[in-house]
Formats: sequence, structure tokens, C-alpha cells
Amino acid sequence: MERSEVETKVKGVIARVLKINEAEISSDANFIFDLGADSMQSMQLVAAFEEEFDVEMEEDKALDVQSVAAAVDFIKSLVDERN
Amino acid sequence: MSNSGTRKTREQIEGIFYPKSVAVVGSNRVKGTVPHDIFYNILKDNFQGVVYPVSPKEPSISGVKAYKYVIDIQEEVDMAVLVFPSSVCNLAMEQCGQKGVKSMIIISAGFKEVGEVGLKREQEVKAIADKYGISFIGPNCLGVINTDPYCHFNASFARRMPAEGSIAFLSQSGALCTAVLDYAYAKNIGFSKFVSFGNKADVSEIDLLYYLKDDPKTKVILLYLEEVSNGRALMEAARTIIRETGKPILALKSGRTNEGALAAASHTGSLAGSDEVCNAAFKQAGIIRCNTIEEMFNYAIAFSYQPIPASNKIAIITNAGGPGVLATDKAIKEGLTLARFSEETTRTFKKSLPVTANIKNPVDVIGDARADRYNAALSASLSDPDVDGALVILTPQSMTEIKTIAEEICNISRGFTKPVYASFMGEMDVMEGIHVLEKNHIPHYSIPEDMCQSFATTYKFGSSLAIKDEAFVPFSDIDKDAASAILKEAASKGRTYLPEEEAVKVLEAYKLPVLPHGLANSKEEAAALGDKIGYPVVMKVMSEDIVHKFDVGGVQLNINNAEEAKKAYAGILANCKEKMPKAQIKGILVQKMVKNGEEVILGLKRDAAFGHVIMFGLGGIFVEVFKDVSFKVIPCDKTQIKDLLHEIKGFPLLDGIRGRTKKDVESIIACIQRLSQLAVDCPEIKELDINPLIVQNRNEGCYVADTKIML
Repeated sequence: MERSEVETKVKGVIARVLKINEAEISSDANFIFDLGADSMQSMQLVAAFEEEFDVEMEEDKALDVQSVAAAVDFIKSLVDERN
Repeated sequence: MSNSGTRKTREQIEGIFYPKSVAVVGSNRVKGTVPHDIFYNILKDNFQGVVYPVSPKEPSISGVKAYKYVIDIQEEVDMAVLVFPSSVCNLAMEQCGQKGVKSMIIISAGFKEVGEVGLKREQEVKAIADKYGISFIGPNCLGVINTDPYCHFNASFARRMPAEGSIAFLSQSGALCTAVLDYAYAKNIGFSKFVSFGNKADVSEIDLLYYLKDDPKTKVILLYLEEVSNGRALMEAARTIIRETGKPILALKSGRTNEGALAAASHTGSLAGSDEVCNAAFKQAGIIRCNTIEEMFNYAIAFSYQPIPASNKIAIITNAGGPGVLATDKAIKEGLTLARFSEETTRTFKKSLPVTANIKNPVDVIGDARADRYNAALSASLSDPDVDGALVILTPQSMTEIKTIAEEICNISRGFTKPVYASFMGEMDVMEGIHVLEKNHIPHYSIPEDMCQSFATTYKFGSSLAIKDEAFVPFSDIDKDAASAILKEAASKGRTYLPEEEAVKVLEAYKLPVLPHGLANSKEEAAALGDKIGYPVVMKVMSEDIVHKFDVGGVQLNINNAEEAKKAYAGILANCKEKMPKAQIKGILVQKMVKNGEEVILGLKRDAAFGHVIMFGLGGIFVEVFKDVSFKVIPCDKTQIKDLLHEIKGFPLLDGIRGRTKKDVESIIACIQRLSQLAVDCPEIKELDINPLIVQNRNEGCYVADTKIML
């Protein structure tokens, strides 16, 4: 899967879980500082990413990911590994 | 001192207590969460400035327009309260710096207290703060409260804002703060400033103390500490505050563990645990150490509500004989005196009180007393020139006019400059009276003993204000270079223990009274040294590997001639070779033996928080079993050294109790002064024991009989 495709899907998931407009999500946005995710929503995001991309994430590693760009990289590496 | 290494200015701390505009950064709409409640508390508690919620996705919080970023706020922002998770505090801090914010409170946890990752985060926000010149409280704290109506700022997630008062409370523990606020609320106790300073990554308790020194709203300072990181700075701050303003500092210090002492090699090291040193340091600095929150507030209300007594002469007025006696016993034990009433006072009592009343101190107005008797007894007592304070006790009988008596006490108290305290004993029946007393700032105590102890504490504090610090005058006859050379030589070789032969040379350089001695490397040399020094002598093994010489048979006493010296030499060597065959033996020290005199122990220990402390105690069983020792942080002046001596229970043994000959206490004081200077000059000394110092009769001096130094 191309990185741009992963990024588009990631932004869609974020918009859905955090209930925000997808257009407002920049690539370098921080989940907490810029998008206002709380700890519960962070967990929900991890679950939604796993479902969307059919991957399994190590919880500690996943919660260490702070920005949209980092999430895209992390998920792409998991998808590539799976394939 | 802040963790930048320099003390914060008054203006920097003022910015934390008196902001004109505040942004709560990371706020949200979820009631019962810290990010919401902090903002809501500022809003509901009538902050006199402007407050802005900053929230990444909420358009408003509690009806107030919210901003996505602090830099989106058009107006100036003096202060930011940071409630974001620790992982993004650096981002928020950076924006606050860009916005020109100069004061911050970082409420968020997840910093130094959680380990390495948190420590890095803390260092990062501290670096950003330093870059922008921001002063901040926290992280990991409950927040800050300023009850001054001019600002009325509750930047905390406490359940309620306390009333205005003259007590400042500084706490390292946030959770304790909420308990204290609840306790104080129940007792109508108000505060001037209330600070939970958390990890003190930037602003420390020392900065806050110096600020409170000049805070006109604060009369008493309360301090809760879990660890003392800079004991010397704390002592200096306390001394400055007390000396310049007379404001008392009451401290509750937890963490009374002694792990450090367990690892010590010397007597002094093992006895000078962190808690003992802390006790001594607080006392020396004038800080009143309390054991419980209740004790702390018992003293705090006494200092805050009433004047400090001019003397220890009190009148006790009671309607109950038993409690009157209990109070008298406690008062006397705490160093108070029952005043002797004048003839005029006695005449007034006779006119106003029934014949069955006791008109001597304590004045018993009898169980059926109504307000008129209390009024007469208290007024007359306070008018008596021999009385400098009154303690009023009440027990609730069927006819006791509890509320009226409380009101009378308050009214009469206002007419005098002498302190008045009260103890209305009981719970439910006396509650109404207690509320009257509390609201009118008459210190109230449920039991009379606490009342007496509190009065005595204020009296002792007042008396201590009259004692002036003496300047430390260094000795001019010492050879600092000689002592330093010995210590540096040992340190350069990685040695950590100086046996007696070398330790004695260090003491000689500071003119401490060491006994004639020499090092023998053969039986013949031992005998020759004995002949030269004069018998009796004591002989001791000298080895860096043998710290506890007695334990291996490395010491022989009472050697009276050359033959015995030769035998002792051989015997000591044999003992040591048997018990510690690998020990490198430098020789056998032959030393003049002093048979008569009182044995005392002197010691030095370098404490991690307070630096060098000196220890004094009687030797032998007194130090081994009773641990009857006292401590002072050095340098200390002569008055403090006298205190050090008098603080041990066994001091009368030196002072000629029951016909014993008085010992040469002045010579001990001189030794302590010289030892004190040695520690100041040679900070590399970790521990030092002089055990024993043998003290002769008055004017006959004292002698160092054994010593060792640890580096």
C-alpha cells in the first residue's frame, strides 16, 4: 500500500473517532496537543487503526506514536510487514 | 533557591500569585477531570483578572470562549496553567514562551516522579522555560491559591477555596493539601497563600519562603516536606525570615528513614541518621518541627491569632478542677509558670467569685459558673501585671452559658494585648461556643494540654528571637595546609579511611589536644616509646584494613613498663594475624594513657542535605546503649555549642551533679570549635570520630584518646 493511501485512510479514521473535520487534520498534527485526543480516545484510535488496516499493534508502541505522520509511518511498516 | 541555581526574584514569584490574565492550557468540558475543574475553579472562585480556556477542540468551556492555542489569544496573557498530559507539555510550554507568558503552573503528572522518561520530559520543559524566562511551579502538583481579595486566585483542583487568613501553606504533596484544606475548613482556619509545589523543577520552596518573608498577608509559614534537597539554603532562608520579620516557620517533614546511617562506618555516622540531622538543623535555624498536621495547626492558629506572650507567666481559669490540674501539669512541664496574682486581683476575685472558688492560680470559678464569673476572672487576670497570658478552660454543665462565655472571652481579649487561648472540652454541647471562638480568632483546643503546649511553643519562639547570632571567629593558630595535605594525599591514592596515626596528625594541625604518641615497628621500638612517653601507655594496631581495632584484639590498655610493652606488641600482632590475616599492618601505636576523666564522644558527619554536622555525647554505655547524643550543623557559634552540650540527658554528669567534680566543659567547647573549623576547611572529610575524648576536672583540659577519619 502506498504511503499516501495509508495517510488518507489514517486521517479518515482520526476524523471519525475524534469527531473532527478531516480537512482540519494536518500531517504533522499531534493527537493530543492539536487534535485534543484524550486517553480513552487514544485507545479507541488504536483499535480503529487495527480494524481499518487489519493489523495488530503492540499497545505501548502504538500509544507512543504522537503525531499523524508518525502514525502513518508506523501503520505502513505494519502493513508492509504483513504483506 | 530555584533549580536554575539562582534565587527567583520577588517579581517572578509575584507573577505566580497575582496574575492579571490566565490561560488554562489543555482544558476540557468533562466535569470532575483536572483540566476542567482547574478552569472552573478559577472562574467560580471570583478571580479578579481574566481567564481564557485553551482547548484543542472545544469551542467554549463553561460558557467562556475557548482558544485552540494560547497563541490564538489576542490579549496579553500573564500566566498559563498547564493541564495537558506530560507528553505534550513541551509543545504547550513552547507556545506559552512564544506568547510572552512569564509565569506558569504545571499541574500535569508524569514527570520526574515516574522515572527516566519523565525526568527527560521535566528537563525539556525546564529548558524551554529557561529559554523564555518563564518561572513555573510544579510539575506534578495540586496548584496555587491566593486568597487576597485583590486577586482571589484558585488555580487548583481542590474542592473548595479556603477563607482569607494569615497562614501560608507550602507543600511538596498535593494530596496532603486537599486534606489540609478540609481540616482547616472545619476549624474556620484561613490562608494567605496555599501552594502545592510538586517536583519543584523550577520554583522551589526556598524561593517561595523568601517571597513570603515580605508578603504582608502572611504572618505564619507552614511547610510540608518529603525530602530536603538543599538543607543549607533552607536553613539560611528560615534564619533570614525569622531574624528580619519574626514570622514563625512550622515544618512537617516526613520520610524518617535511616538507610544512610546503616551504611556508616563510624559511631557518628551510624548515629547521625537523616532524621536526627534534620531535627538538629531545623532547631538551629529556628524552624519549629511538628509531628502531625494537628500539632502544626495547633501552633499555627496560636501564632496567627494572638500576640506572642511577653513572658511565660500565665493565668489558668477553669470551671473544672481536674482539667485545671491537667493543664497546670502540662504548663509546668512545658516551661510555663503560673503567675502570682497581686493583692488587687485577689480582692477582685473575692468580690466576684463565690467563697468556694479557688482564687489562686489556676482560678477555679466552680462548675456552676455562668458568664459573669468567667468575665470577672478573665478581666482581673489579664489586668494583673504579673500575668502575660490567659488559658481558659470550660466543661459543659447544665447551667454553663457556653456561647455567652465564648463571646465574653472574645470581647475581653480585644481589650488586652496579652494572648488568650481557650479549651472548651467536649464535642457536641460546646460546638456553638467553639465556633464563636474560632471566628473571633481565639485559638481553641479540644484538650487543655494541647493549649498549654501551643502557648509554650509561641513563648519559646518569642524568647528565641532575642538571641543574636554570633559571628564565627576562625582560629589563627591552625595549620590548614598540613591537614589538607594529609587528606589530599590519602584521597589521591583512593583511600577512604585514615587510621589513628594519620588522623591524629590532622587533629594536631588544628591544635586539638592529642596525647603523646609514636609508631613502633618492633618490640624494642614499642618499649623505647613507652619509656620516652611515660607509663602507663595504651598500644593499638595501625592498619587501613582494621577499622574496629577492639574487635580483633588490636588494642591493649594499662601497659606499665617496657616488658609489658614488648609483650603487648607481640600479642596485638598475633591477635590481628589470627583474626584478619590479610590485613596490612603499618605498626603499633604507643600512646600515653589517661586513666581518670569522663569519656565523651565528638564526631563529624557530612550529611547529603545539610553538609557537615557535629555530634556530641557521653562515651561508653551512654552512646552505645542510650544513644544519648546531640547534633548541630556547622559552623555553629559558642551559644549553639553550649546548647549542643546541654541537649544530652547525661550533661549533669559533666556539670557536677550530686557532688561529682565538675569537668572541664570549656575545653570540650574549644575542641568542638576547632573541629568545626576543620570541617569547614576540609569538606572532603566524610566522617570523623573522636571516641573517647577524655575530659579532666575543670581547668585541667581534655585529651583525644582515639580517633579515625573517613573520606
